[in-house]
Amino acid sequence: MPIEPSAAGRDYPTQAYEVSREKIREFADAIGDANPVYRDAEAARALGHAEVIAPPTFAMIPVLRGFDMLMDDLGIDYARVIHAGQRFLHVRPIRAGDQLRTTTTLDSVRSVGGNDLIGIRCEVESGSGESVCTATASLLVHEGGSDGD
Amino acid sequence: MTEVGAILPEREFRVTRQDLVRYAGVAGDFNPIHWSDRVAASVGLPGVIAHGMLTMALAARLLTDWAGDPAAVVEYGVRFARPVVVPDDDRGVAVGVGGVVKEIRDDGLVGIEVTVRVGDEKVLTQARAVVRPPSDG
Repeated sequence: MPIEPSAAGRDYPTQAYEVSREKIREFADAIGDANPVYRDAEAARALGHAEVIAPPTFAMIPVLRGFDMLMDDLGIDYARVIHAGQRFLHVRPIRAGDQLRTTTTLDSVRSVGGNDLIGIRCEVESGSGESVCTATASLLVHEGGSDGD
Repeated sequence: MTEVGAILPEREFRVTRQDLVRYAGVAGDFNPIHWSDRVAASVGLPGVIAHGMLTMALAARLLTDWAGDPAAVVEYGVRFARPVVVPDDDRGVAVGVGGVVKEIRDDGLVGIEVTVRVGDEKVLTQARAVVRPPSDG
């Protein structure tokens, strides 16, 4: 079922995400990066950071929770979804202890070759409302035609 | 000083099915095309593919290692042009990552073009970052 173009502009409820040192370490392990700045507060301080910081794409964890809400709302099954593009604009690094608040917006919906290309924007802020990161994504949603392809 | 045309030395990363499972769990990305051959085939993929975000994260290591401080990566964006198919064996697939400095901005930040390949094929396109260069660069 195609996505209603009028869904563009829809905002989803702000989601809280508390960043732990353990999650940053796990994420760094999962991308195979042994950098001590992701694990050791001393190493982070040596680079001028108050706490352990997260890798540049860690923001995808809170962002994905926003995607989950949006997929649910639009009735999209993830198996039909291909991630077409992703961009992060970091105001500052995500740090252990951050109480992030992420707001997700469906920016655009357009039909491309019988499928839907959707644009999603997530604004990630700190608990005090300071901007931390803007993440924009484009997702290609297959319309699940059963033409055996 | 960092100069336009400076090369970020090429790196190779291997990705196995086990890496996909680990990334799925940590990132909370359970799309079955990253772990089920059956589902991958049903949506027309040649097999289980890597999370685009895992490939993007591997490519970012070129930037964070070059800059010295991961917080130096201010902007980072990619298009996922081709799926990275990950075979069900112990060797997995090799992802080659390289970069070149394309621009030095007035504010001192540098624009870097990143190339990410599997074999001869570019799997990420329009992969660009804006990075604060290393101070001893």
